[in-house]
Amino acid sequence: MGNESQQSCRPAAAPAAAVAAQARFPRIVAAAQFVAPLLFLLLLWELVVRAFGVSPRIFPDVEAVARAGWETIQDGTLVRHIGASLGRVAVGTVLAIAISIPLGVAMGLSPVVSSFLTPLFRFFSVLAGIAWIPIATLWFGYGFGAITFVIFNAVFFVVAYNTLLGVARIPMPLRQAAAALGAGGWSMLTQVILPGALPNIVTGVRTGLGFAWRGLIAAEMIATNVGLGYMLFLARDFYRTEVIVFGMIVIGILWLLIDRLLLAPLERATIERWGLVDRA
Amino acid sequence: MTPLLKAWSLYVRWTARFPAVRSIVPFIPVVALWAIVAASGLFPPVFLPGPADVVRSFGSLVYKGILPDYLQDSVVRLAVGAAAGMALGIPLGVLVGLNARARNMLWPILLFFQAIGDIAWLPILLIWFGFSLTTMTFVIVYTVLFPVVLNTALGVRSVPVELHRAARSLGASRARVVWEVVLPGALPNIMTGLRNGLGFGWRALIATEIIVGTSGIGFLMFDARRAGSVVEILLGMIVLGLLWYVVDGWILAPIERATGQRWGLVTQ
Amino acid sequence: MKSLTLRNVSKTYFDPYAGAHVTAVSDASLAVGQGEFVSIVGPSGCGKTTILNMIAGFIPVSSGEILLNDQPVKGPGPERGVVFQSFALFPWKTVLENVGFGPKMRGLPKAECDKIAREYLALAGLADAAERYPNELSGGMQQRVGVVRALANNPEVLLMDEPFASVDAQTRMTLQEELTRIWQERRPTIIFITHDVSEAVFLADRVIVLSKGRVLKELAVPLPRPRVWDRLIEDSAFKALSGQVLQLVRSA
Repeated sequence: MGNESQQSCRPAAAPAAAVAAQARFPRIVAAAQFVAPLLFLLLLWELVVRAFGVSPRIFPDVEAVARAGWETIQDGTLVRHIGASLGRVAVGTVLAIAISIPLGVAMGLSPVVSSFLTPLFRFFSVLAGIAWIPIATLWFGYGFGAITFVIFNAVFFVVAYNTLLGVARIPMPLRQAAAALGAGGWSMLTQVILPGALPNIVTGVRTGLGFAWRGLIAAEMIATNVGLGYMLFLARDFYRTEVIVFGMIVIGILWLLIDRLLLAPLERATIERWGLVDRA
Repeated sequence: MTPLLKAWSLYVRWTARFPAVRSIVPFIPVVALWAIVAASGLFPPVFLPGPADVVRSFGSLVYKGILPDYLQDSVVRLAVGAAAGMALGIPLGVLVGLNARARNMLWPILLFFQAIGDIAWLPILLIWFGFSLTTMTFVIVYTVLFPVVLNTALGVRSVPVELHRAARSLGASRARVVWEVVLPGALPNIMTGLRNGLGFGWRALIATEIIVGTSGIGFLMFDARRAGSVVEILLGMIVLGLLWYVVDGWILAPIERATGQRWGLVTQ
Repeated sequence: MKSLTLRNVSKTYFDPYAGAHVTAVSDASLAVGQGEFVSIVGPSGCGKTTILNMIAGFIPVSSGEILLNDQPVKGPGPERGVVFQSFALFPWKTVLENVGFGPKMRGLPKAECDKIAREYLALAGLADAAERYPNELSGGMQQRVGVVRALANNPEVLLMDEPFASVDAQTRMTLQEELTRIWQERRPTIIFITHDVSEAVFLADRVIVLSKGRVLKELAVPLPRPRVWDRLIEDSAFKALSGQVLQLVRSA
């Protein structure tokens, strides 16, 4: 949604040179248009910190953040924290997706079963993620197990719920048409059920990962000694705002990368071409 | 007629008359299974107490007045945060939706700050405001803000140009067009944004209450965790789930549906 | 030569709202010859779609039997093609992939499927739309795809459930003429469900009027072919037959 709005909403009266440049390097111009406001924000930040002489214990200047960032990169702590966080997300998410999609499909196939189970999965997907932190830490202790469980849980229920809905919403005539054309169980699954539910599944994965990412940061603040959330929370103890701000920027960039490069293109590729947008 | 068909018929007719039955009945087997597993002694009761224990703890916490107090704290925080988030988010969304220059300038910034995520703000907020109500409110407003802004902008832009032109040629000023045409047209999207925002805001609230906590359901759960009381953690989770189920299913979703469907704007 | 036979077919199902069994079709008997074009017409709720769903094998019969070439019908199968009112095209497949779906299910190689699909698309004048997705086509074009998708599987019987009910009146007439043309070329057995009396008479060799789950009357349609609306719209025999059927349906 970000990309298309940028493209369709440029000021109408752009200078001729800009239009020509845009025609020649469309991607570079689009990227510049995206980055320019962020650079402006960076400038504003530096100006405000200097003009008002803000104490570094309240908010750091740009240079301090850059220096803190460089230090964490050099001594390897950043890589260690990012590695731990991404590792937990990857394990929890992959496990959750691998289990929830087959389960959701199985439950969605029968209208009676799916309408009966929908409230249950709604309830648990509403609870998904952060609300499980206390009990997860009690069951698994502080560390990898508890955090991965929270992520698993955030993705699992949301994806299962969306898959269930997606399968249940496939119009019956589509399944009948496939059966009348000779599709058996496996073809029915791969040609009709999965593609039909895919928009919902992708939306579920995107939402679930959003919950999981927040759950991860929260859980890492509470229940571990490595990871981005822990890095931020540790820095708080020493009033090292420059480390905190650097960590926030890293978290923002990581999520933008995950969402824009992995999830959004997937959603666009499947849903928009098929004209299923209004259903999802 | 077999008893099975009779039972099914009864269930269908009851759910037709009282739709709430549909959202309650499926929980009966789950609770029953939970009770059986808990009673079987497969897990130690400290690890997994049964439903009866949770009900008892519910009774005692209500009797002591702790649960109603905490529940009120959480709900008030969420409501204040949501109201502030909308008061900021809707005007900003209209601006971003209507003005191309503002959109070009603000869109990347909005996306970036949304990506940072509410909870990552907690450490620096704690430095600024300490373990206070301001910290919690900030986090919730922050969480609610972005979905509302992004969805409002989307809704504003989905209002057909003809409607703007029709209103202008009927003599409406630019400001009136915003009030009479743009906002009603964007309303279904605004409601969707609010619903998403509250979904995230509510999770942020729990996380904040766990970390910052002095009261609230999140605090109740984490306090219980410190004391090793699984009963109260489970109770907290159930209260949270029920609360959101009621708010979302019985208040927000119907409003969203009513605005969109009544006007035929929702194509679902 | 009899191709499809329904012998004393009944369908009752349990209605949980009423808490009782409801009869949708009762004791219907029917014989359709090979290559015959039969219309089944009746008011809504007369059981015509239920009959079609039973022949297609989507729902089982409660009693009686349905035979295709003396073999009882058990579940859906490629020898009975179905065209749906809602088109039921797969939105995630291109027009070509939709039409080639049946051959693909028979296990034919991709090139062969594409070849068959293109051949059938050309039959319906859709050669240019092969690479497009269904949502990019008009309703009339979508249903053309629906018809040739069923035909591409080379079914013995083509079952059509109010296929032209959701396209505009102009397109509907064109589609009806095209269908009679294709039928004359290929001669599949067609069972065509509709509530539109003139459509039923225009298309079929024989019209079956259904009422409250029972066969009310069968009427032969001895109009000459090829049939085109320009000629038939003023034809007295067509008018008389349509009037007769209409009266039966309204009295039903």
